[in-house]
Amino acid sequence: MTSSGQAYYFDGATSARHQVTVELAPAALKIHAADGGLIAEWPYAELEALSAPESMLRLGRIKSPVLARLEVRDQALAAAIDDLSIPVDRSGRTERRGRMKVVAWSVAATLSLLLVAIFVVPEIATRLTPLVPYGLERRLGAAVDTQIRTALDTRKAGAKFECGDGEREKAGRAAFDKLVGQLERAAALPFPLRVLVVRRDDANAITLPGGLIYVFEGLIEKSETPDELAGVIGHEMGHAGHRDGTRMVLQSAGLSFLFGMLLGDFFGGGAVIIAAKVILQTSYARDVEAAADAFGVALMNQIGGDPRALGTILERISGSTHSGMKLLLNHPETKDRVAAINARASSGPRHPLLEGTEFAALKHICMLS
Amino acid sequence: MTTLDAIVPATHPRVTPFPPPPGPVQFLGYERAYWRLLIRGAVLLAVTLGIYRFWLTTDMRRFLWSNTEVLGETLEYTGTARELLIGFLIACAILVPIYALLFLIALNLGTIGQLASVIGFAALTVLGQYAVYRARRYRLTRTIYRGVRFLQTGSAWRYAIYATFWSAIVLISLGLLYPLMQSRLERFKMRNTYLGNLPGRFEGTAGGLFLRGILLWIIVIGPLIAALIGVIATFDVKAIEDLARGGGEAAIRRMTTNNPAFTAALGLGFGAMSWSFLAAVMLYPVFQAIVLRWWLNGIRFGDVVLSSRLRTGQVYGTYLRFIGWSFVFSTMASIAVAICYLLIKLLTDKPGLNSDGAEIVAAVIGFVAYLAGALGYSTIYQVKVRLGLWRVTAESVDLKNTAALEHVSSVGAPSSPVGEGLADALNVGGF
Repeated sequence: MTSSGQAYYFDGATSARHQVTVELAPAALKIHAADGGLIAEWPYAELEALSAPESMLRLGRIKSPVLARLEVRDQALAAAIDDLSIPVDRSGRTERRGRMKVVAWSVAATLSLLLVAIFVVPEIATRLTPLVPYGLERRLGAAVDTQIRTALDTRKAGAKFECGDGEREKAGRAAFDKLVGQLERAAALPFPLRVLVVRRDDANAITLPGGLIYVFEGLIEKSETPDELAGVIGHEMGHAGHRDGTRMVLQSAGLSFLFGMLLGDFFGGGAVIIAAKVILQTSYARDVEAAADAFGVALMNQIGGDPRALGTILERISGSTHSGMKLLLNHPETKDRVAAINARASSGPRHPLLEGTEFAALKHICMLS
Repeated sequence: MTTLDAIVPATHPRVTPFPPPPGPVQFLGYERAYWRLLIRGAVLLAVTLGIYRFWLTTDMRRFLWSNTEVLGETLEYTGTARELLIGFLIACAILVPIYALLFLIALNLGTIGQLASVIGFAALTVLGQYAVYRARRYRLTRTIYRGVRFLQTGSAWRYAIYATFWSAIVLISLGLLYPLMQSRLERFKMRNTYLGNLPGRFEGTAGGLFLRGILLWIIVIGPLIAALIGVIATFDVKAIEDLARGGGEAAIRRMTTNNPAFTAALGLGFGAMSWSFLAAVMLYPVFQAIVLRWWLNGIRFGDVVLSSRLRTGQVYGTYLRFIGWSFVFSTMASIAVAICYLLIKLLTDKPGLNSDGAEIVAAVIGFVAYLAGALGYSTIYQVKVRLGLWRVTAESVDLKNTAALEHVSSVGAPSSPVGEGLADALNVGGF
């Protein structure tokens, strides 16, 4: 076995490179200068292998404030030192073991984080939502409104985002308000609602925190009877009544905190976080949509409209839905929803919600001046 | 056999046990080892939701540092993952209240709320620069060369304000004053950088970088400015007044159809924008090579003078290799996704199967595919671009008056990792 060899030594005080002879004594490694004098004596138990290229063993002393270094490039000598010193482990086994512990605990942390994200965050948001005062909710809605407007307002032909203020739109506005009035009276929510038609071509409607409901122009175009439109507005009033917007904000904040702040960003981690949030939030959304449907159907039953009309327009709008990607869609599969809607529809007395002329006027609510 | 061959002895007597390397700086690491390190790291990052990044970052630095050999001696990185983790936790303790406060203020709308978001953004920018400086200090004090530690002095707050100020100037000047910012900031950094008691300084001048880069600036930004001037010159002020008064489509018609020069200028503007974007992407490696060369040529440590032989073609090479590898990876990934899609279809089309279960399986497969894709591209980027650039840049360096490196005295102690943590949490900082 090798008992001595050549190496380079740096004393940590200056950058001068000393060529030295290393002697492997029984308890310590002895470093001799070229003239044979003893420069340093490092006990094997205090040796530390430091980061170095593969061809070299770089040694220092554990927890030493002085940056003295011994560089061994003689492979036989390096192997001999590795054998003699317990802390020196060139195979990296000791370090790997420590690292596996980190990985194992991280996986455990990840699991509990995911469980919290899936089960606890929506639960907390649901419990917290009723505690949010209405004034704060309205402010929240105003903040979201500013963002929604920047995102959605296409400034179509330089016109206002809301429909119904133009001279030729007034009649449509009156019909719309009549329809909304019937629904709102039946809903009897503890706070006032604002339902507006906006210039936007998608067949959709959205509810913001604080009772602001936007019905898109595209939805009015797509609806063939007042009952269909009323069904969708009733559904949105369900979101408002259940304060789903506020709950979504709370959920989103909770998830952002869990994923964003604790995990930071690395290797495009930000995008992963957003993806995880989208999947989780849309999976929460399924029950929420079903509840809003039920609310809308109850309203229609109450005011004598056709509750099944909501199902009809849903089927018309979502015509082709790919199965297999259901979880990524905002709304649960239409077929299931329509079945649930029809099951809840009562067969009580019906009367038209709007006159024929009124509905015709409503269709022109976004005619501009 | 020539006579010369016969004279040369069979076994060459070695004067020193370790022959000196050909250039002053050499990179010894094998790409294969770096691939292994990064792929293993990517898998562990995925299963630990990113917590492993502190260990991976440390491994990457250890690899890059310890394989960079300067005058026969390799650098040593002494930082640990534990330090990075602690730094990150401290940064969280500082940032969480700030974020919460900003969120609360943003809720409070009106002028105060909007002002607060602007102030918040500015504050986070300054804090980001602060973190950049502190993180540099952390990395320098963990870098050992020949048993001597690098050091960085100077106030990080001063640097942060200085850097923010200069960034604003560069933004306002449309990038024209970038060389001035670079030279000022680099001087600040290098003036405060030491190897032991050997003081660093920076001698690159703004003028030098300006002359090397002005052509690039003209090619990329020039057309944009010309188009902007064109739009302003042909602008019909009266039409915009009409528009503001609610003229609607009529005013827009007046602005466009009745003013062909304006329409042409607007069209040119869009053309210029696409040109600028394309030119910026295509010429980025040239820019990077110019800045790297200028930077290395300006660095001094005492009497030691650095210079760089980095060729623009080498920088292009690293990016081209990245694109090539990404292409191969994309092809393989598309095939894998197609197979997964078919499998999902087989699963979900089966009648009587619990559709919720199939859906969750599909979502999980999609998520895993996305994660694998993101990690794959970034791994290729780390190997091909980051490591590639590190290697060509390091090996391009020439050193003069290296005798000064032989007797540097050791000074100073390692600094706290808070800067690194902040940089990590704020998403700034590099190696």
